[in-house]
Amino acid sequence: MVEHSPAATQPSGTEAAARVCWECKATLGNSHFCPACGKLQRQLSDIDYFSFFGLPRKLDLDLTKLEEQFHQLSWKLHPDNFSQATAYERALSLEKSAMLNDAYRTLRDPIARALYLLGLEGVSRQGEDKPQAPPDLLEEVFELNECLEELCQAKRSSTDAKQFAKLRQRLRRAWQAFAAKLAATEEELFACFRAWDALVDAATFPAERKTKLTQMSEILNRHSYIRNLLHNVQAELEE
Amino acid sequence: MGKLVGIDLGTTYSLVAYLDAATQQPRCIADEAGQTLLPSVVALDASGTPVVGVPAKQLLLHQPERSVYSIKRLMGKGIDDLQEELKFFPFRIAPDSQAVIKVQLGKKIFTPPELSAFILRELKKRAEEFFGEEVTQAVITVPAYFNDAQRQATKDAGRIAGLEVLRLVNEPTAAALAYGLDKRQQGLIAVYDFGGGTFDISILRLKEGLFEVQATNGDTHLGGDDIDNLLLEKALDEFRRGLRVELREQPERVQNLRQALIAAKHELSRITKASVRFALGRKEYVLELTRAEFESWIRPIVERTITPCQLALKDAGVKPEEIDAVVLVGGSTRIPLVRQRVEEFFGRKPHCELNPEEVVALGAAIQANILESGVRDMLLLDITPLSLGIETLGGAVAKIIPRNSTIPASASEIFTTSVDNQTGVEIHVVQGERELVKDCRSLARFTLKMPPQPAGVPRVEVKFLIDANGILNVTARNLHTDQAQSVQVKPSYGLTDEEVERMILESFEYAEADLQQAQLIAARNEAETVLRATDKALSQEQAQQLSAQEREAIAAAAAALRAALSGQDYKLIRERIEQLNQATQHLAELIMDSAVQAVLKGRRADEVNL
Repeated sequence: MVEHSPAATQPSGTEAAARVCWECKATLGNSHFCPACGKLQRQLSDIDYFSFFGLPRKLDLDLTKLEEQFHQLSWKLHPDNFSQATAYERALSLEKSAMLNDAYRTLRDPIARALYLLGLEGVSRQGEDKPQAPPDLLEEVFELNECLEELCQAKRSSTDAKQFAKLRQRLRRAWQAFAAKLAATEEELFACFRAWDALVDAATFPAERKTKLTQMSEILNRHSYIRNLLHNVQAELEE
Repeated sequence: MGKLVGIDLGTTYSLVAYLDAATQQPRCIADEAGQTLLPSVVALDASGTPVVGVPAKQLLLHQPERSVYSIKRLMGKGIDDLQEELKFFPFRIAPDSQAVIKVQLGKKIFTPPELSAFILRELKKRAEEFFGEEVTQAVITVPAYFNDAQRQATKDAGRIAGLEVLRLVNEPTAAALAYGLDKRQQGLIAVYDFGGGTFDISILRLKEGLFEVQATNGDTHLGGDDIDNLLLEKALDEFRRGLRVELREQPERVQNLRQALIAAKHELSRITKASVRFALGRKEYVLELTRAEFESWIRPIVERTITPCQLALKDAGVKPEEIDAVVLVGGSTRIPLVRQRVEEFFGRKPHCELNPEEVVALGAAIQANILESGVRDMLLLDITPLSLGIETLGGAVAKIIPRNSTIPASASEIFTTSVDNQTGVEIHVVQGERELVKDCRSLARFTLKMPPQPAGVPRVEVKFLIDANGILNVTARNLHTDQAQSVQVKPSYGLTDEEVERMILESFEYAEADLQQAQLIAARNEAETVLRATDKALSQEQAQQLSAQEREAIAAAAAALRAALSGQDYKLIRERIEQLNQATQHLAELIMDSAVQAVLKGRRADEVNL
């Protein structure tokens, strides 16, 4: 269980202004450690994954740099460094390194990164649990499902090998078509990332950014739908 | 603070190791016979005292109903998990076993953590004798694919044995540490760990002393034991068919046959033909086994290791040819077929320079040293092997921490009530990759206290945190009041805290027994010394000055002491030593006087310092 020492429990509402080191009482900046005595500090409750890495809320990330930072922070924050320290420091290290790993896991994957940002910006995803088929793809999705159904039927009854192979071939081609669509959607997403970053840099009004986020949400839904579809088809093809 | 050691608690063998400060190299600690491997066998001797290792293996052959082996296969499991395995194990499971297995040895009942604790205590003793000081902390290794219950059971075993478990380390990662001692190495490493009971494959990235596990997979029901069981089945069938003898009804015979088959299996790694000699009554039977035949039998078992390898590589996003080095761990990797298959799959020759049976313990010792000294040039970033999820409506699983996440890792969920004034919310946590709860492994149920409020009003945030040991910790916070609140945990498999506490107390009895043993040995040694000294004194010239009575008294006291030596009562031995000392007091004085006089004769009075 994570222990909380009463001395350093931050009551909510007195955050950045009064932050002092629990050990030497020096004023703290935004770093994870006290600039004076070097002791590991408590996590701010309002910190998000971007600020944990000292990054702005921008989406086009340099993954090599992110990994480098992740490694450097791991060396500093890992519980192994604190096994001989006080129980309080061990608890802090556990909390911090969990957050480090959660943040890295989220930010390194473009989809997770985008979803996280949407959450931070208060944009809820419509139909998050069960994405709907994108309207422009309805016909192709219908055809694919037909093909899938036929293949399942063929498996249940004993169809002749040649017919079976033909069905599989059809399905595989449909799969490839959708795989291409997934790649295209990803390109769209990255373009959206760059557009968002430009808006952040230009310090534009919230309304504009909101529109961009809504657009991003739609692309993510599309991506999720196609990905699930491909996953299901793959499962059938592999059987 | 005592010394810190690394322990490999293995299915077949267990080892203890430390980091030699002088050479900065890890070393396994050997027993008096020079053996580093301690057989993971526990048995009750005639007096009902638990014994471990080689003497236990002996008892296993003659009294299998008082012995147990491969205890690791029972850790963290309930009775339902074991149906398949029980067919092959000769030991008796107590009928009321449920969430924790209870094994019957003779008339006593033990749980797997208690049995593992006997093994750990034996290793603890060995290390203490080696260092000449107390050992109270250890790093213990576990299969990478062990779930939460299995890890907790290992920690419990440590506690019962009187060891503070500073860290549980995954076995393949520990092996990588041992191999990667040369920190200049970079690249992707695959660790193929095929031991007695479990199989693990881990893919790691090594960069400037940082060991980052990318993915892990495995099978906790796959190991050398399965090969042994297969051989046993075939041999028993052969006996039934050829000789019309059903050996399965004679557990003792079965154990003997098993040992003979294991010996043959080992030989077949060196030569291409082995004989299994088996005595039945007055006749000796010989089963000839060729390597080719052996390989054809075990091929399916070896093949079962390949799928986890493929899955791990897929999760890591890596192809076999991208792996820079393959490391072999575990006794079963000595089998030529296994090495061939691994070389085939990865397209390169695997490393086996380090003893595959010692390498995990060596790695554990390195990790122990990192924790003890805060060594800053090596860091292990391990992962959790199974996805963590919570049960949602309709028996579905909502995954909150995906598999292969670097640990420590966490996830937060906010809970509320569905009924007015509902006082508690049940959370069911599971591990596994499937979509439905019934197909996953139940980890625990937590009861979250809710304040009496209208439905949907309370907001309690629960933080699920997997620590560096891979074990789940849960904390809760009421978001309205910003107060932390307690969470009651009911593990689905395993011992409760109360049960562990009780077992720790009981284990003091065994510690007491150990103490008795140590005292007995010390007393016996002293007795031998005194008796030798007495004999020597009686052969001296001065002994002639003793009266007949005195000489009789000495003889009687010596005889009484010799009689006490054959018993187990160290207090009696000490009493008799005292009595002999008293009887020889005069003799000692006589000899002492002469000695002093001899010294004085050779010196002038003013030279003597008294």
